[in-house]
Amino acid sequence: MTAPGARGAIRVDRVDVSFPRRDGGRLPVLDALDLSIDSGSVVALIGPNGSGKSTLLRVIAGLLRPDGGAVALDGEAVTAPDPRIGLVFQEPRLLPWRSAADNITYPLELAGWPVDRRRERLDQLTALVGLERSVRANRPAELSGGQRQRVALGRALALEPLVLLLDEPFSALDALSRERFDLELLRLWERAGSTVVLVTHSIAEAILVADRIVVLSPRPGRVVADLPVELPRPRSLDDLDAAAVSRTAALVRAHLGESAAA
Amino acid sequence: MTRAGALSILVALVAFLAIWQLVVIVSGFPPFILPAPGAVLGRWVSAWSNGTITPHLVATLQEVVLGFAVGAGSALVIGYVLARSALVERLLSPYLVAAQATPILALAPLIALWFGPGLLGKVVICALIVFFPVAVATMVGIRSVDAGLLELGRSLRATPRQVLTTLEIPAALPSILGGMRVGVTLAVVGAIVGEWAGAERGLGVLINLARGSLFDIPLMFATLLTIALVGIVLYLVVVLVERRLVGAR
Repeated sequence: MTAPGARGAIRVDRVDVSFPRRDGGRLPVLDALDLSIDSGSVVALIGPNGSGKSTLLRVIAGLLRPDGGAVALDGEAVTAPDPRIGLVFQEPRLLPWRSAADNITYPLELAGWPVDRRRERLDQLTALVGLERSVRANRPAELSGGQRQRVALGRALALEPLVLLLDEPFSALDALSRERFDLELLRLWERAGSTVVLVTHSIAEAILVADRIVVLSPRPGRVVADLPVELPRPRSLDDLDAAAVSRTAALVRAHLGESAAA
Repeated sequence: MTRAGALSILVALVAFLAIWQLVVIVSGFPPFILPAPGAVLGRWVSAWSNGTITPHLVATLQEVVLGFAVGAGSALVIGYVLARSALVERLLSPYLVAAQATPILALAPLIALWFGPGLLGKVVICALIVFFPVAVATMVGIRSVDAGLLELGRSLRATPRQVLTTLEIPAALPSILGGMRVGVTLAVVGAIVGEWAGAERGLGVLINLARGSLFDIPLMFATLLTIALVGIVLYLVVVLVERRLVGAR
């Protein structure tokens, strides 16, 4: 529940998005989508390809103006990118000509922070995302896939956002690293207390990380199910064997199948 | 450079000189057709020491450097606009291509007529010839900026100026410097062509003098050698700048 004064609550109100089609028509992607996300909660968005998960994330991030409806953060309309929102893309999207450190502090540089404050924040951020000191000076090409995603995560957290939006951030990693990253993300969330919205294809990942799993229908995306994950926190990989997990997974799968058949 | 690299360059140079010398011996061409490498080198040294080359070299270098600066500078601006505006590209590109397709040799007399026989006309010719490769390289480079990085910039509320300095320029730099490599060697060509169309000083003038009134063919070869060296040195300068700016990626 949203405590009074708590921050980072998102309200998506009847959002419509469509893209222009080649034949001149419009392709509806999101259809009067409603979603309310409590401050400090973790919500996983799951749905078949083309259900508009990434589009929804971009609307919340203020990168995409919806055709209709509105997004609000703590009651304030989001119509443009907002410093209170941090974003991690599917690919790390690092600047290849900059070192890992300079990629992490890039948002601070754009925001006009002085060098010494940037350096201080860099220390905190690299510790937070678990990036080894020794690779700070490396260029992205000299980093492993996991290190790159850590840098991207550090960059998204640089301005201490109230909301962290993640678009399948670990999908390029192998299954083992991915589970480790999911757990690290949870620890990070426990420390930072920000609201987290995670787009994923993986039911297991959604269950491991989220308080709520929101299932979207195929295009045009609507919310077809909003399922609570009843697993105590802090969670570990062992929790994935619990009976509650298989029940939740079965429910998610049922809704996904239902929405795909519809 | 590695030792092996330096050695192979040296070997190639020696081989080149040896073949040249061999051609001179076997063909029996007189020195006014093909002087031996030793004779050219000797004339080169004497032309340096008696001050024949220096004023001409200075004049040509001045034209090349100024022409390159003007041509490349305007090409950066126009190339950027071409990359960002489809309308401007449609309107301008026919003229740019036409200007490039017209041989500079044919334009040089006209430019000499308009701008006179002084420095200005040569700078214009150099700038013209440098412009096209640098403008195209800039356009291609700016267009190659990853759309994902631009979206990242937008999500971080980068100002247009910040987008330019932190995303577009660094991303386009390798392409731009590639265009400048081509441009700087063309600038030397432009200066010589410009000098042929009428000038008092310059390495192009010296070639004409050596071939004509002086009839000093070894000096002509020595001048050619100087022109080639100017081209090589300027090219290496661009390569060095490139190493500094983008080499570490």
